[in-house]
Amino acid sequence: MASQAPVVQTKDLTIRFGGNVAVNAVNLTVESFTLKAIIGPNGAGKTTLFNLLSGQYKPTSGSIMFKGREVTDLGAADRTRLGVGRSFQLTNIFPSLSVLENVRLALQSKARVGMVFWRNYRSYSELEDRAYELLRQVLMEKRWAVEAKTLTHGEQRKLEIAILLALDPELLLLDEPTAGMSLEEVPAILELIQQIKAARNRTIMLVEHKFDMIMTVSDSIAVLKEGRLICDDSPEAVACNSEVLEAYLGGGVKNG
Amino acid sequence: MESKTMQPTPVQMERENLRRVRFTRPALWVQLVLLACLIAGPLVVPSFRAMDVMTKVMIFAVVAASYDLILGYTGILSLAHVTFFGIGAYSMALVVFHSGQAAWYHIPVAMALAVGISGVLAVALAFFSLRVKAIFFTMMSLALAEFVFILGDQWHDLTMGEDGVSFSLPGIFSVNWSDGTFLGATLNGRLMTYYFILAASVLLFIGLVRFVRSPVGRVLKSVRDNEQRSTALGYKTFHYKVLSNVFGSVVASLAGVLFAMWLGYVNPTSVLGIPVMLNILLMVIIGGMGTLYGSIMGAAFIQVAEAWLPDLQKLTAWLLPHVEVAQRLAERWILYFGILFILVVIFFPKGLVGTARDVIARRKLRLAQRDHQPGL
Ligand SMILES: Nc1ncnc2c1ncn2[C@@H]1O[C@H](COP(=O)(O)OP(=O)(O)OP(=O)(O)O)[C@@H](O)[C@H]1O
Ligand SMILES: [Mg+2]
Repeated sequence: MASQAPVVQTKDLTIRFGGNVAVNAVNLTVESFTLKAIIGPNGAGKTTLFNLLSGQYKPTSGSIMFKGREVTDLGAADRTRLGVGRSFQLTNIFPSLSVLENVRLALQSKARVGMVFWRNYRSYSELEDRAYELLRQVLMEKRWAVEAKTLTHGEQRKLEIAILLALDPELLLLDEPTAGMSLEEVPAILELIQQIKAARNRTIMLVEHKFDMIMTVSDSIAVLKEGRLICDDSPEAVACNSEVLEAYLGGGVKNG
Repeated sequence: MESKTMQPTPVQMERENLRRVRFTRPALWVQLVLLACLIAGPLVVPSFRAMDVMTKVMIFAVVAASYDLILGYTGILSLAHVTFFGIGAYSMALVVFHSGQAAWYHIPVAMALAVGISGVLAVALAFFSLRVKAIFFTMMSLALAEFVFILGDQWHDLTMGEDGVSFSLPGIFSVNWSDGTFLGATLNGRLMTYYFILAASVLLFIGLVRFVRSPVGRVLKSVRDNEQRSTALGYKTFHYKVLSNVFGSVVASLAGVLFAMWLGYVNPTSVLGIPVMLNILLMVIIGGMGTLYGSIMGAAFIQVAEAWLPDLQKLTAWLLPHVEVAQRLAERWILYFGILFILVVIFFPKGLVGTARDVIARRKLRLAQRDHQPGL
């Protein structure tokens, strides 16, 4: 039934900014509980594609189905409620709230506490405890009480993932989760992604530039170039596709 | 609890700790002492002037706090707050005035009217202009404020125009009521009204404090920090803003009912005028935006200054009878407000309470750091 339908299915998805077609007639299908990597050179439209899927942008034309349901006209908040969760390429947290509060707010939204304005927010102790649990999952529990803006860049990315998991989304859109991280911090994120994938209850879409990382974690890879989907295949097939090598790695292969 | 072998997490420990010190924290004692002063005040110092200032401080503390909810916590600059206050005041005055004879039920009816009218107006204003740019909301609120002021000023059949409306309160709140003495103070209508206003203001203030500490209050805080992130978490931030805007406006209108009860008289300038609006704004800024308790300080500051600065003028005239300049300056006590205002903004950009909180937080941090480096 619902699980039979692909999690994501786009049809001729297009968005233009003025004369610039950032995403151009993309037909992309993502099956349940798989990890699809999205790669492509800078400016290929990867982030824009995520913005379309999460409802930040409205497409110029084309449609988006989520679990067999048309969501093209829904806003970002509604899609979050349906189960679309995204992390941002540029770190996007609540800088002057505590780390715990960042996660707790996500849980409050997910728990549908609603517009309660007479109860103390601290009386929802289960939300706090669960938030701490999630921080533990991303190895951030020691930092629960500090303001989020005092975290290192890598820690902020981990916090973002904790926020994302708090929303318990069926579809995770991870936009360069390791961007700007120091090298020591990358394996922990990779490990975390693999953990999520191994649980086999979420579908992941991952934008990354680290090619070896993509090859190890993804089930399939979609390649974007100048807004067009030029290839969507297994990692092995994509790695051998000459058009991809040219588009993605440019002259790098010949030189390497 | 004891049966659990698992270590409590730091979050649980902090929660437990907060629960333990619930009744012993210093802030609670400050609040209780303040409350005791307000209760004992009129009995200890039987001066009408002092009671008058205290009552106005209480009422305006509520008005300023409700404005802080909109300005400080929601980040909306409304110029119609005084309008909601005035709608409450006029509800009280007109209900009694147009029924001829004051009856006890006029008070709840006036309150219901105040809540109803200001609620509907606040929802309409928010839905109409909150989605657009913030400046649009400010302009629309100014238009609403002007419109209601003109109604109050010109709709003579209803509001008596600029002459205003005098009315008397029912039963034990009436100025004519008096019944013996209690602890040496005469029990009269004034005193009863004072205690009614005290109780109502405390309840309204508690309502506001609860609001900002609720799940909704937390979402508003997150919206101020990073609105786009709140939306991405699934919050319809617009609805939260509308709710807090309406809540703040309704509280202001109830404070207006109390204000009319205290004065027994309303006119457009005293409850609908833009100068009153600026006073409210000043109270919030002096106390500190986004602190709520700062509103008490701000209201006390302005009300005390308004009550006693004219005395300063007389004092100047008496001390320096021949120095024309000094007297001219003293006449301009509004000017002192301006100077005080600028001083506050320069030296306490976060207001009195905001600055105090910063100082306390810094000291706590220093202590914590010292505890962490015992070896040094
Ligand atoms: N809001 C916008 N307005 C105008 N142009 C935009 C907007 N968002 C994206 N674009 C354009 O769309 C194209 C695709 O950008 P996008 O950010 O999706 O690329 P990307 O694949 O994520 O690149 P990177 O690897 O650098 O993150 C770019 O040419 C960009 O300038
Ligand atoms: Mg990008």
